[in-house]
Parts: sequence; structure tokens; C-alpha cells
Amino acid sequence: MNSRDLVLHAAAIKRHAPASAIAALAGVPLDQAQAQLDALVATGRAMETKGAYALTPLAGVALQARYAGHFGHLREDEGFRGAYEGFERINNTLKQIITDWQTLTVGGQKVANDHSDKAHDDAVIDRLGALHEQAEPILAKLASGLPRLRYYGDKLLAALEAAEDGDTEWVSDIRRDSYHTVWFELHEEVLRIMGRERQE
Amino acid sequence: MPVAKLPIDGARFVQPPASPLVEATVDLVKQAVRKRLAESGMDWEQFALGGSDSLVTAEDMIGVEAAILASGHRFDWSASISASERPEAHKPADGVSDDGVGFSHPDAPSGEPDSDGKALRGVGDNVVRHKADVSGTALYVRSNERVLSLLTGGVPPGTIAIIDDSGGTLTAPIIDQFAGVICAGGTVRSHLGILTREYNIPCVMNAKVAGIREGDQVVIEASAEAKTTEDYQQGVERTARIWLMAESAA
Repeated sequence: MNSRDLVLHAAAIKRHAPASAIAALAGVPLDQAQAQLDALVATGRAMETKGAYALTPLAGVALQARYAGHFGHLREDEGFRGAYEGFERINNTLKQIITDWQTLTVGGQKVANDHSDKAHDDAVIDRLGALHEQAEPILAKLASGLPRLRYYGDKLLAALEAAEDGDTEWVSDIRRDSYHTVWFELHEEVLRIMGRERQE
Repeated sequence: MPVAKLPIDGARFVQPPASPLVEATVDLVKQAVRKRLAESGMDWEQFALGGSDSLVTAEDMIGVEAAILASGHRFDWSASISASERPEAHKPADGVSDDGVGFSHPDAPSGEPDSDGKALRGVGDNVVRHKADVSGTALYVRSNERVLSLLTGGVPPGTIAIIDDSGGTLTAPIIDQFAGVICAGGTVRSHLGILTREYNIPCVMNAKVAGIREGDQVVIEASAEAKTTEDYQQGVERTARIWLMAESAA
């Protein structure tokens, strides 16, 4: 992909994010990404509000239509497809782990986890660590097909390590590159690569 | 099927850039042609001079327009007959608005107003139990255009969003500004459920609602028991109710 499409693609995955976050995901130097974003805004491809960029609907449609050309070889690649299917399988486990992270059972009721029960939290983070071990070979296979995808493996590991070190906001906080934030973006990425739709 | 290369794949974008609509149309047409070329097994010259007229079909071109309309884009019109003959494809004369048309579930329960003036209009799966119910103003959020206008103009305080995208793909940039969310699809484990729990926003998934108009005052029974994974596995019915406040129904 050229840098214009890399920036469009990263902006689509990030949905509403500052230029620095888009540049990092795209793997494009910030000044180049900023210049592309300025041009996209000037020509009706993107909108900027509060320092964050979002694609306009038609820009998203055009980008999507170019994916078959960009990613057709990966869609045909047995190994990459297998890795994608492996990701979809453990994605269900991840969603259950995050749900369990966010909720506690008190008197038979599911209530919001106030993180006062350290044993519960530690157990969930252990499960997250185990899931990450399952994810690692999948992430490696995805990145061998498309080196840019190493971004996600590095970010996931950093978030997991921060959570294991006790900074538990790194599990699912939406305002940072928490484990769940990065996982969700990776899911969006691979769905776009494979030309699939999100189930839920 | 191998990826087909088109001779125009390397064509540069014209300067000044074509409009977003032109770019989307060109790329969608190229996508359709690329697919048909690959299926044909022909080389480009054979395909362009011999096969393309029949291999690229009218349905392919209808698909191009459908993809553009699915994004929420509506075409400008110069003669009003365009808008009256195909309202679904054109900008309405009275401005764009998402509404509740077509958002009506056949199994939605409904009831007469109770002593508090609350009339049952639906049920959904509560993603987590909150201390109190939440009330607010119903707003349908179903198109990119509406999300972009809310991004720019801000979400009015006390808005309860009614949406049908359980992945939260559309609404993620503004979700933290909603007072509550009613989602027609998904489960409590869906990405949207995860997002709303993270923001501590009352949310019901898999909602069956009918008879709620934009601007209506609605109440979500956020204090109801949350639906659990086991409930889904065992087929347990456990729902939170959604009410319409009677005074705004008049």
C-alpha cells in the first residue's frame, strides 16, 4: 500500500484518533501522515474534530474496494488464512475474559467489577496471560505474511506486561492502548485484510 | 483465485483530486472488473476486447451503487422526480435524518402506561446491573453521516442511542457521550457490551423494541439483573425492560 492508503487504512481502524496514533499504526512517519491527513480533510475524505480524525463514508467505501488488490495474495495464502481462523477462535475466549474482568458475581448477580477482589482480578489476568501464549504463534504467522502487523504483537505484549505488573488499567481501558483496545483493532485489521464482516 | 492486475492499477490520482464519490465509484468498478477478470482466466486484451461486455454484468454495476448507498451516501438531485421516484437513493428535500422507520421488532412486548406513566415498548439483555434505571431522549444512530454530525456538533446531554451495530464500529467515537444505549443485535459479550461497561453506560443488547420515535422520552431498566453467559447457554430468559414515558407519546 502507498502511504495514502496506509494512512486511510489506519484511520479506518482507529476510527477517531489523533495523527500520532494513526501514523504509528500505519507505520508512516508522523510528518508524512499529517500531510496525508491534511490533504484528506481538504478534499472531503476525512473530518477533524478535537484533534482527532475520522474518515467520511465514501472514503471508507473507496478504501474497502481497494482491499482485494492490496490483500488478495494474503486471502489466497493457506498459512495466513489458517492464522486468521485461529485468531477468530481465540477471539471468543478473549471477549469472555474481558467480560469477566468487567463483572463480578455478588450474591448470584453480575455487577460491575469495582476491582476490590484482588483474587478475582489476578485470576482473570492469569487467564489473559494464558490466552496471550495461545495468541503468540498466531500473531507470528500473521506478521510473517504482513510484517506491518508486528505492531499489534508488540502492543499486546506491552499491555499484558503492564497489567501483570499491577497497572490494571492496561487490561481494558478504552482511552489507552490496553490489551482489549489493541486486540479489537487487530480484529478490525484482519477482518479488513480477509474481506470479512464482524459478527458482533 | 489469483489476484488480477488491471492496466490502470498504477494510474495516478488526478490533481486536483477527484471527488470522494468519483474515487469510490472508480474503485468499486475496478473491484468488480478485477473479480470478473480473475474468474475468466483471460488475459487483459482478450477480456477487454472479447469477454468484458458479457462477463461484467448489470448486477455488478447495481452492486456499485448499492455499496455507495450502504455507506449512508445519498445522491444529490437536479430534478425532484429523482427524489420522488427513488427516495432511498437521493437526499430528501427536508434534510437527512435517521429515524425509527424499519426499526420495529415483531416480538417486542408492549403495554399500557402504568401508574408512573411508563408504557412498555421493548426488552433487551442488560450488559451489567446498575444501581438505578436510566431515562433520556431517544436518538436513532444508524448511519455514518449521523455519527459524523454528532462528532462535530456533540451529542445532546441525556441521549439514549438506539442502534443496530453490536460491534460498535459505527458509534465507538461517540459512545462515551451517550446516557444509555439500546442495541438491536449482539449479546452482553459483544464488543459494544464491553465498551459500554468500560464507560459505565447502561446498555441493553439483543433488544426487541417497537413504537419508539426519535425524540421520545424512554427509560431503560438498567437496574434489572444482567444476562450471563450461562443464561445464553441454558436458554434462560432474563431481560431488562424498555419503557416509553406516556406524556411524550401524545
